[in-house]
Amino acid sequence: MENSSLNRKFDRILALENAGKLKASSGNRALSKFYNNRLAVFGLIVFSIILLTAVFAPLLTSHDPLKINLRNIAQSPSWEHWFGTDRTGRDVFSRVLYGGRISILVGLGSALMAAVIGVAIGAYTGFKGGWIDVIALRISEIFMSFPQIILVLMLVSIAGQSLFNLIFIFVLTGWGAMYRMTRARMLSLREEEYVQALQSFGLSTATICYKHILPNALGPIMVNITLSTAAFILAEAGLSFLGLGVPLNLPTWGNILNVAQEIRVLQNFWWMWLPVGLVISLFVLSVNFIGDGLRDATDPSQQG
Amino acid sequence: METDHNIALSVKNLKTYFYTNNRCNRAVNGVSFDIEKGKTLCIVGESGCGKSVTASTIMQLLPRLSRIEEGSITYHSDAGDIDIENLERNGQKMRAIRGSEIAMIFQDPMTALNPVYTIGFQIGESLKYHTDLTRKQIRDKTIDLLRDMGISLPEQRIDEYPHQYSGGMRQRAMIAMAMSCNPKILIADEPTTALDVTIQAQIFELMDRLKEKHNTAIMLITHDMGVVAELADDVAVMYMGNIVEAGTIDEVLRTPTHPYTRALLDSIPVLGEGKNQIIEPIPGSTPDPYQRPKGCQFAPRCTHYSEQCDIMPAETQISETHRIMCWKYQEFATNGK
Amino acid sequence: MLTYVIRRILILIPMLLIISFLVYWGLELTPGDAVSHLINPEAAGRMSAEQLNDLRESYGLNKSFIERYGIWLINVLQGNFGHSLAGGVPIADIFLDRLPATLELSFVALFFSTVMGSILGTISALKRGSAVDSGLTVVGMLGVSIPELFFGLVALLIFALELGWLPVGGRLLPSYTSYWDHVPNIVLPALVLSLMMTAGVMRYSRSSMLDALSREFITTARSKGLPEWRINLLHGFRVALTPVVVLIGFRLPVLIGGTVIIEQVFQWPGIGNEFISSVRGADYPLVMMIALFSVFAVLLASLIIDVLTALIDPRVRLS
Ligand SMILES: Nc1ncnc2c1ncn2[C@@H]1O[C@H](COP(=O)(O)OP(=O)(O)OP(=O)(O)O)[C@@H](O)[C@H]1O
Ligand SMILES: [Mg+2]
Repeated sequence: MENSSLNRKFDRILALENAGKLKASSGNRALSKFYNNRLAVFGLIVFSIILLTAVFAPLLTSHDPLKINLRNIAQSPSWEHWFGTDRTGRDVFSRVLYGGRISILVGLGSALMAAVIGVAIGAYTGFKGGWIDVIALRISEIFMSFPQIILVLMLVSIAGQSLFNLIFIFVLTGWGAMYRMTRARMLSLREEEYVQALQSFGLSTATICYKHILPNALGPIMVNITLSTAAFILAEAGLSFLGLGVPLNLPTWGNILNVAQEIRVLQNFWWMWLPVGLVISLFVLSVNFIGDGLRDATDPSQQG
Repeated sequence: METDHNIALSVKNLKTYFYTNNRCNRAVNGVSFDIEKGKTLCIVGESGCGKSVTASTIMQLLPRLSRIEEGSITYHSDAGDIDIENLERNGQKMRAIRGSEIAMIFQDPMTALNPVYTIGFQIGESLKYHTDLTRKQIRDKTIDLLRDMGISLPEQRIDEYPHQYSGGMRQRAMIAMAMSCNPKILIADEPTTALDVTIQAQIFELMDRLKEKHNTAIMLITHDMGVVAELADDVAVMYMGNIVEAGTIDEVLRTPTHPYTRALLDSIPVLGEGKNQIIEPIPGSTPDPYQRPKGCQFAPRCTHYSEQCDIMPAETQISETHRIMCWKYQEFATNGK
Repeated sequence: MLTYVIRRILILIPMLLIISFLVYWGLELTPGDAVSHLINPEAAGRMSAEQLNDLRESYGLNKSFIERYGIWLINVLQGNFGHSLAGGVPIADIFLDRLPATLELSFVALFFSTVMGSILGTISALKRGSAVDSGLTVVGMLGVSIPELFFGLVALLIFALELGWLPVGGRLLPSYTSYWDHVPNIVLPALVLSLMMTAGVMRYSRSSMLDALSREFITTARSKGLPEWRINLLHGFRVALTPVVVLIGFRLPVLIGGTVIIEQVFQWPGIGNEFISSVRGADYPLVMMIALFSVFAVLLASLIIDVLTALIDPRVRLS
C-alpha cells in the first residue's frame, strides 16, 4: 500500500520533471521547506491568530478584564460574554485576551532574553576557551542540575512574586540550554579553516563570533527559542495555577486557570477554565509545530 | 555479450532515479555491463556519477525515495537466471541472494560495522541465515575466515568489538563477512578509500587471491587508476549516470576513445612515469544533477563539442568488447591517442 | 568499569559541595535565626536568651560563615536536616513521611512512559511517512503541548466527578485497611503523569530510531540478507536504545516538575505537595532542603544513567 502511493508520487514528480516544470527553487530552500510542512504552517497561522488577538485585545472586546461586576457573577457564555463571567463577574473572554498579552510576554520575552544571554556567553566563552569557559560551564551545570520547577519556586520564595521577578527567574533558569548549544557549536567551528583564516587576518574574537559564526547557528537558535517559549508558557501556567506565578491581580492564562483548583468551579463552571486551558494548549502546540518545522527546514541532514 | 556461461551478472539499460526533495535525479540513466566469473570489473568515474547507486541497485539496497525505472539486472545463478529488478526489495528471494550469492563491502569499515556487536557476531549472522551450520560450527568457520583474511589470534579477536580493530583489520573483517558464504559476486565500493596506502595494497592482494581461489566475479568501484591498472580485467568509465566507455583494461587504458576517458586519464598522474608528466585537469565541473545537459552529458565540457552532441549518442561497439557513447568515435578511434 | 564509576562519583562530589554551599548561603540570607533551622523552634521559644546563646555556642553559630557551613553540612550528612518552621517537625521525618508517595507515583509513571514511549516511538519510526506515523506524531505533539495540570483537571472532571469511577484525590485514606486499597487513588495521577511523559519519550525514541536506521551498518546488515525484523530490532533498536536510556535520566527533572503539579491537582500527599506548601508558607529550611534533595536525586540519576549506558555500549564499557 505504501509502495503504490510512493510510486504514484514518483510518477508525478517524473512527469513534472520531464515537462521541465521543476526548476531549482529560487528563494530560500529552508523557507520553502518550512512552507511545505503542513503542520508548521498550521502552527504559524494559529500562533499569529492568538498573538494578534492578544495584541489587539482592546479592539476585539469592550469589556475590562479587571472590572468586577457583582451583579453578573458566574454567568454562562452568552452573546454579551462569549466565555461567560467568573465568580466576581469579570468577563472571561476579555481576560483570556488580555491574559494572553502577559503570558506571551512572559513566554516569548523570557525565551528571547535567555537566548540573547545564553548565546552571547556561549559564543564568547566557547570561542575564547580557557578559565572563563570553564567557569561559565560550571555555572551552567549548577543551574541545570536543579529541576526547573524546583529552582523557579525556590527563587520565587526568596525573591517574592512579581511579573518582573518571574521573567528574571525564567531567564536565569533558561539561559543554560542555549548557552550549551552555542558553546558546542562554537567549539567545533573554532577548528574550522575559514574561522582560523579570519583569525589570522587579525579580526577580533568578538567580530568573528558575531559576524561569521552566529549566522551559521541561526537555525538551531531559532528552534531553541521556540522550544523555550513553549516551556515558559507552560511553566507560567503551572506556577500561576499554583498561585505562585504572576500576582493574582494581573490576568494571565495561568491565573485564569487558577480558579479550577476548586472542585466546585471545576465541576459547575466549565467556561471559567476550559476555554483558557484550550487556548494555552493550542498556543503551545502551535509554537511546538513551528519549532519542529524550523528544525526540519534548517537541518541539512533532513531530506524529504 | 551473448549468454555466455562465464557471465555471472548482466545489467541491461538500467535506470535508477532518486526522488528526494520533490525533484527527480536521474542518478543512473541507462547503464549496461556484464560481470564475468573470476574476473574483476572496475568502475571508475568522478564523484557523484552514480557508481555507488549502480552497486546498491544490484543489491536492491536503495533508499526509500528511489526506484528502478527501467532495465534489467539478471543474475545467472547455478539454478537458472534470476531477474533481480523484479524481486521485492527486502523480500525473501532478494534476501536469499544477498550475502550468499552476491555480497558487498563498503567504503568506510568503521561506520559499516555495528559498534555494539562483536565482529564474530556480525560475521556469524551471515552464516546463520545462509547455511545450516550449528552455533559451534559457525564459530569455527568464523575463526577460519578471520585467519584466512590474515587476522592474527582470531580465537581472541572474534569476540572483540569493531572499535578495538584497526581500520585495515575492520576492512578484513568486512571481507570475511562478505566472503563467508562463498558468494559468486563480490561488489566492493571503494573498499580502501578510508585506509592508508600500504593497507590498501594488502586488501587488494587479499581480494585478488580470493578471486583466484573461489572464481568470484568482482565489481570494484574505485577512483584510483593505479588500482585499475593493477587489478582490473575489464573497465567501465561512468559519467553522470552513463557508462561512456567500456572495454578490457588494455582497450580502455591504451586506446582510450571517449573524450571524457582521455581527459580523465590526462588528469591523473601515472605512477612510474616520473614527475615530468603533463597533468591536465578536466575543464569545467560536473553539472548539477538536476540540470543535466540534454544530449551527451559531457558535451558542455568537451573540447570536441558540436551541435550533434545535443542529442544523446547511443552505445556503439568499436570492437567486440570495446564500446563507447560518443557521436565522433570514428574520429578518435582512427586518430588514436 | 569500576574505575569509571569511581571517577564519575569523584566528579559529582565538588558539584554537590558547591550546590549545598549555595543552598546554605540562601538559607542564611532568608529571614529567621539560623539556630531555628537546626533545633525545634517551639523548644527555642521556651528557652531563655542565655540558654539560646549557649545553644548557639554549642552549634558553633557564633563562628565564621565557613565554619557554620561545615557544621551544617556535617549535620546534613548525618541525617539531621533541621526543622520545618511550621510546627517544628524535623525535616527528615517529613521526608520519610512524604517520599514513599512521590516515589510510588514517579516509578509508575517512569516505567509506563519509558515502555510505552519507546515502543510507540519505534513503531512510528519503522512506519515513517505512514498514517500511523503521522497520527502518533500529532498525538505526541499534543502530549508535550497540553499543560499537564489542564490534562489532569479534565481527567479529574471526567473520570472522578462526572463518571465517578475513581476517587477525586488523596492516597492512604483512614478508611483503608490494606495497602492495596489505595490503588484506585493512584490510577488517575499516575495515568496523567505517564501519558504526558510518554509523549516526550515517544518523540525522542522516534528520532533516535530514525537516526539509527539511517546509519550505514543497517545497509551492511541488509546486504547480508538478514530479515527485516532482525535488522530493525537487533541492529536498529539496539543502537537506538542507548540515547533513550540516557533520556530517562535527563527526564528526571521533567518528572519531578510533573510530579509537583500532578500532586497538587490530585492532592497526592508527596514531597511535591509539601514543597508547594512550604513555598507558600515561606518555610525556608524546608524549601531549601527539598531543593537540595532534588538536586541530589538528579545528580544521582545521571550517575546511574552513565553507568547503565556504559553497560549497554561496549565503546564506553571497554575504554
Ligand atoms: N541516498 C541518496 N539520496 C539522494 N540522492 C542520492 C543518494 N545517494 C546518491 N544520490 C545521488 O545520486 C547520484 C550518484 O551518486 P553516487 O553515490 O552513486 O555517486 P558515486 O559515483 O558513488 O560518487 P563517489 O565517488 O563520491 O562515491 C548523485 O547525484 C547523488 O546526489
Ligand atoms: Mg560512492
